[in-house]
Amino acid sequence: MAVGPRALEVTGLHVPGRLARAREWWEQEHVFGYGLIVPALLLLTCLVAYPFGMAIYFSLSDYWVGSPGGFVGLANYRDILANDVFRQTIQNSFVFTGIALTLKTVLGVWLALLLARDMRFKRLIRGAVLLPWVIPTALSTLGWWWMFDSLYSVVNWTAIRLGILSPPGPNWLGQSAYAMAAVITVNVWRGLPFFAITVLAGLVSIPREFHEAAEVDGAGPWGRFWHVTLPLLRPVLAVVILFSTIFTFSDFNIVYVLTRGGPVNMTHLFATLAYQIGLNGGNLGQGAAISLFLFPLLGAVVFLQLRYIRKE
Amino acid sequence: MRATSRREFLRAASGATAGVASWLALGKAPAFAQKRELTFLSWNHFVPVSDDELRRQAEAFGKLASCEVRVDTIAHLQMPAKIAAEAQSQSGHDMYRTAGADAFLYEHLHANVDDVVEKLGKQYGGWYPFSAEMAKTKSGWKAVPWFWISFPATYNMAHFKKAGLETPKTWDELLKSGRILKRQGNPVGIAISHCADAHSTFWSVAWSYGAKVIEADGKTPAINSDRTAQVIEWYKELYRDAMEPEVLSWDDASNNRCILAGKCSWIHNPISPYNAALANKMPIADEINHHNSPAGPAGTHSAPPILGLGVWKFSKNVELAKEFIQFLFRKENFDAWIVASNAFNHPPLKNLADHPIWARNPKFAMLPKEAEFAHPRGWPAKPSDAVQRIDDNYILADMVAKAVNGMPTKRAMEWAEQQVALALKGQLKVG
Amino acid sequence: MAGARDREVTIRSATFTYANLVPFLAFALFPFYFMLITSLKSNAELYNLKSIPFLVQTGVIADHYQYLFQRTEFLTWMKNSLIISVVATSASLAIAILAGYSLARLRYRGVASFGTAVFVTYLVPPTLLFLPLSQVVVWLGISDTIWALIVTYPTFLVPFCTWLLMGYFRTVPREVEECALVDGASRMQTLIRIVLPMAVPGIVCAALFSFTLCWNEFIYALTFVSQSANKTAVVGVTADLIRGDIYYWGSLMAGAVLASVPIVAVYVFFLDYYVSGLTAGAVKG
Repeated sequence: MAVGPRALEVTGLHVPGRLARAREWWEQEHVFGYGLIVPALLLLTCLVAYPFGMAIYFSLSDYWVGSPGGFVGLANYRDILANDVFRQTIQNSFVFTGIALTLKTVLGVWLALLLARDMRFKRLIRGAVLLPWVIPTALSTLGWWWMFDSLYSVVNWTAIRLGILSPPGPNWLGQSAYAMAAVITVNVWRGLPFFAITVLAGLVSIPREFHEAAEVDGAGPWGRFWHVTLPLLRPVLAVVILFSTIFTFSDFNIVYVLTRGGPVNMTHLFATLAYQIGLNGGNLGQGAAISLFLFPLLGAVVFLQLRYIRKE
Repeated sequence: MRATSRREFLRAASGATAGVASWLALGKAPAFAQKRELTFLSWNHFVPVSDDELRRQAEAFGKLASCEVRVDTIAHLQMPAKIAAEAQSQSGHDMYRTAGADAFLYEHLHANVDDVVEKLGKQYGGWYPFSAEMAKTKSGWKAVPWFWISFPATYNMAHFKKAGLETPKTWDELLKSGRILKRQGNPVGIAISHCADAHSTFWSVAWSYGAKVIEADGKTPAINSDRTAQVIEWYKELYRDAMEPEVLSWDDASNNRCILAGKCSWIHNPISPYNAALANKMPIADEINHHNSPAGPAGTHSAPPILGLGVWKFSKNVELAKEFIQFLFRKENFDAWIVASNAFNHPPLKNLADHPIWARNPKFAMLPKEAEFAHPRGWPAKPSDAVQRIDDNYILADMVAKAVNGMPTKRAMEWAEQQVALALKGQLKVG
Repeated sequence: MAGARDREVTIRSATFTYANLVPFLAFALFPFYFMLITSLKSNAELYNLKSIPFLVQTGVIADHYQYLFQRTEFLTWMKNSLIISVVATSASLAIAILAGYSLARLRYRGVASFGTAVFVTYLVPPTLLFLPLSQVVVWLGISDTIWALIVTYPTFLVPFCTWLLMGYFRTVPREVEECALVDGASRMQTLIRIVLPMAVPGIVCAALFSFTLCWNEFIYALTFVSQSANKTAVVGVTADLIRGDIYYWGSLMAGAVLASVPIVAVYVFFLDYYVSGLTAGAVKG
C-alpha cells in the first residue's frame, strides 16, 4: 500500500480511473518483475558496465593513464604474451589459486565437521575461527609481513626454538618457493573461515535422519562422510568454490604487501602485475589486457558452474 | 519470541540508519560556504617533523594570500594509484608531489611552470642539472624540483672499529671489508628485491663501473655489456661473501631495521635510519655514521631520489599554486624545512644548499658533496617515462637476483636487455 | 554400566574434537594475538633481536594507542567507516531485496540471463576498475566526500546480496504468497509483509557480509577520498602510519586491532543468524 501510491504519484497519474488501471498494470507479473530489478540494473549499468566497457576499450587501445590513444586491436595482448614475466605470472596464478583453493576446501570441510560437533564454548570457538575473515586485510597482511620479516620473523624464531628448523631458517619472502608458500598461507588463513562457516551452514541443514539411517546400515564415520555428507554438501561447495576461485584469482593485497611480486616475479599475480604495469608504469592498455586476460576463461567456468548449481 | 526479537532488530536497524542519515545531512552543510582553497597532495615524509613544518608554512601562506591551504599526505606507495585516479578523472588536488618521471608521464596534464623555475634559478644561483632534468620535458618545465635525497653510505662505526677496518672508498673495498664484517656477524645490506632502494644502489654501482642501461639516445638498450657483467660479478660475490639471503626479500624499510637492530654494518641508504634513531633516542644513534657513496673504476656516481612539485592543468588555482611554490622556496622557509627534516631534504638550488646544518653535524658534513656526482636515472639518456618503467618493473634488481640465484651472468643480462627493450618500446605518445 | 560407557564415548569424542580444533584455533588466532602483542610493546623491545617475540617483557605500554588517538584522527575515521558501511549496506540490501525477489520468484522473459549477468559483474577485475570509476565519481560531483564510497560500494555489494537472497527467497513456500495475493494484497505488500519476515536470517547474513566488505575495502577508499577527515579507518591507518622506510608498527597494529573490534562484536552477536542465513542461501542458490 505504502509503495504503490507513491510510485503512481511519481508517474503523475492522479485520475482515479487511471489509477486503478495503472495499479492493474503494475500488478502484472512481468511488469512487477522488471520493475523490481530496475534499481539494481541501473546501478550496475552506470557504475559497473561503464567502467567495464572502458576496461575493455583500454585493453584494445594504446591507452596511457590520463591520455587516450588509438585503437590497436589485440596488440596489447600480443605484447604481454611475448613477455616472459607475464607468462611466469600465468603460471604463478594457477599454482597460487590451485594450491590455496585445495587447502581451503579440504581444511574448510574438515574444520566445518569439527565445528558442527557438540561442544562447550561453541559460539566463542566459531567466533574465533571467523576472526581472520573479519580483520581488515590491508592491516592483517601487514601483521603477517612482520611475522615473515627476514630479521624479526616470529615464525622462524619459534621453529628454531622448537628445533624444527636450523638457524637462520628459511628466508620466507626472498626464496621463490617459500615466498609462494607464504602468500598461500596468508590467503588460506584469510579465506578458510569463509569456507568453514559456509560449509558448516550446509552441514547444519542436513537432516539428522540421513545420518541415522546410514548408521543403521552399518556405515562407519568415514563411509557416512563419503556417501552421505559429501554428496549433500555438493551444492554448497559448488557455490563456495566458485566464489573463492574468483576471489583468489583476483587477489591483490596479500602479494602487494608481502612481496610486491618478488622474488624475481615468482609471486606476481594478474592483479599485481596489472597494477605494476598499468598504474605505476602508466601503460593502462597493457595493464587492462593483463587483468582481462582470464575473463573468457573465468566467464566460461562461471557459466558452467552456474548451470550446474541451478540444476542441483 | 524469536520472531519478535528479529523484528525488533530490524526496527532498531532501520532507526539507526535514519539517524545516521540525518547526522550526515547536518555534517555536510558547512562544507559549501568556504573561501578559496588550495589543495596539495604530498607523501608522508620519511622524517615526520618535516610534514609538520610543511603544514605550518602552508598555514602561513594561507594567511598571506587569504586562502585555505590543505595539505593531504599519504604513504609513498599509495601515491601512484592516487595520482593516476586524479589524472584519469581530471579532478582532485591542485598540485602534488612528483617523483621519478611523473613530469613526463603526465606531461600534457601538468601546467607549465617555466616562469617559476627561471625566477627561482636566477634568485639562488641555478639548479643542479641532475635535479632540473627530472622536470624539464620537451614542452617545457612541468614541475619545480623540490628537493632531493642524498643516498650515501650509512655504517656502524663500532662494527668497523671491531674489525679494524677503514670505511670503504670503492665498491671493491666494500666487498673486501664486507667479507670480514660478515664473519664478525655484521653483514653488509644492499637490497636485491622489488623495492626502490634496490634500484638506487644498482644505478650507482653500474655507473661507477662505467656500465649503462640505455644509450644516450634513450632508445637503445645498452645493458648487455662487459661492464655490466663486472657489476653482476661484483654483486654475486658481495651476496655470497658479505651479505645474507635476506636481501632478496627486502623492502625499503628492511635495511633501516637491519642497521638499527645492530646487525648490519653497512647499508646504502639516505640518512633516515640515523634520524629515526635520534628521534626515538635509540642508543645506536651514536654508532651510526655516514660516508660518501663509494667509487668504482669509472668514478663515483649516485642516483638520488628527486622529488618535485607539479601543478595539474585542470586546477582552477594554477597561479595560486605557483605563488605557494615560491613561498616554499623563500630562504627562511626552505631553511626551516631543511632543519625540520634534520638534513634529509637537500635543496635542488645551489645557493640554498649553503646551509649550516651540514657543517654543524660532522655526520652530515659530506652530504652536500653527493650532489656533485648525482644523475637522474637512465643517464646518460635523458629522463623519460620509459626510463621510469625500467625501475617500475624492477628489471635491474631482478637481473641481479637471477644471477645471484645461479643464472649465468650472460643469460641474466640478455633477459634484462629484452625487458629493457620492452619497457622502451611502449613509449607514451604525447600529443 | 551402559551410562559409564556412554560417558567414556562422549569424553573420547570431545577430546578428539578439541584436539583437532586446537591447530585451527592457533592458526586463526595467532596472528591476531601477535598483532595485539606488537601493539603493546615498546619500540625498543620490538626492535630488540634478543627479545622473545611472543611476550611483552619490558612492560605493557599504551603509547601506541595514545599516538593513534592523539596524533591521528582515528576516531573520525572509525566514525566514517561506520557511516559508510551502514548506509552502503542498507542501500545495497534494499536494492538487492527487490532484485533478488524478482529474479527468484517472478517469471518473465530474460530472468535467467539477468541472474547470470549479475554474477558476471564479479569477474570484472577490480585492480584497474577504479580508474574509470573515479571519472564517474567526479561526474556525479561527489569526489572527496564519503558519498563517493557510499555510492560506489553497492557495485560489489548488490551482486553478492542479490545472489544470496535469491536462494533465500526460493525457500519461502509459494503457497504462503499465493494465499496473500488471493486475499487481495498487492504484490508489494506480499513482498514486504509476508516474504521479508520469513527471510530475515538471509537478510541478516547478507548485511553482515556486506558490512565486512565495506569495512575492509581499500582501493576505492584510497583513491576517491583525500581529506583526512573523510577517510575510512583502514585507509587512514595505513596512509598515516607508514612513513616511507619507517613504519609505526605499534600504532599500525593497534589500529588493526581496534578497527576489527566493531566487526568482531557484530559477528559474535549475530553468528547464529549468519550460519542459518548462509545455509538456505547457499544450498538452494
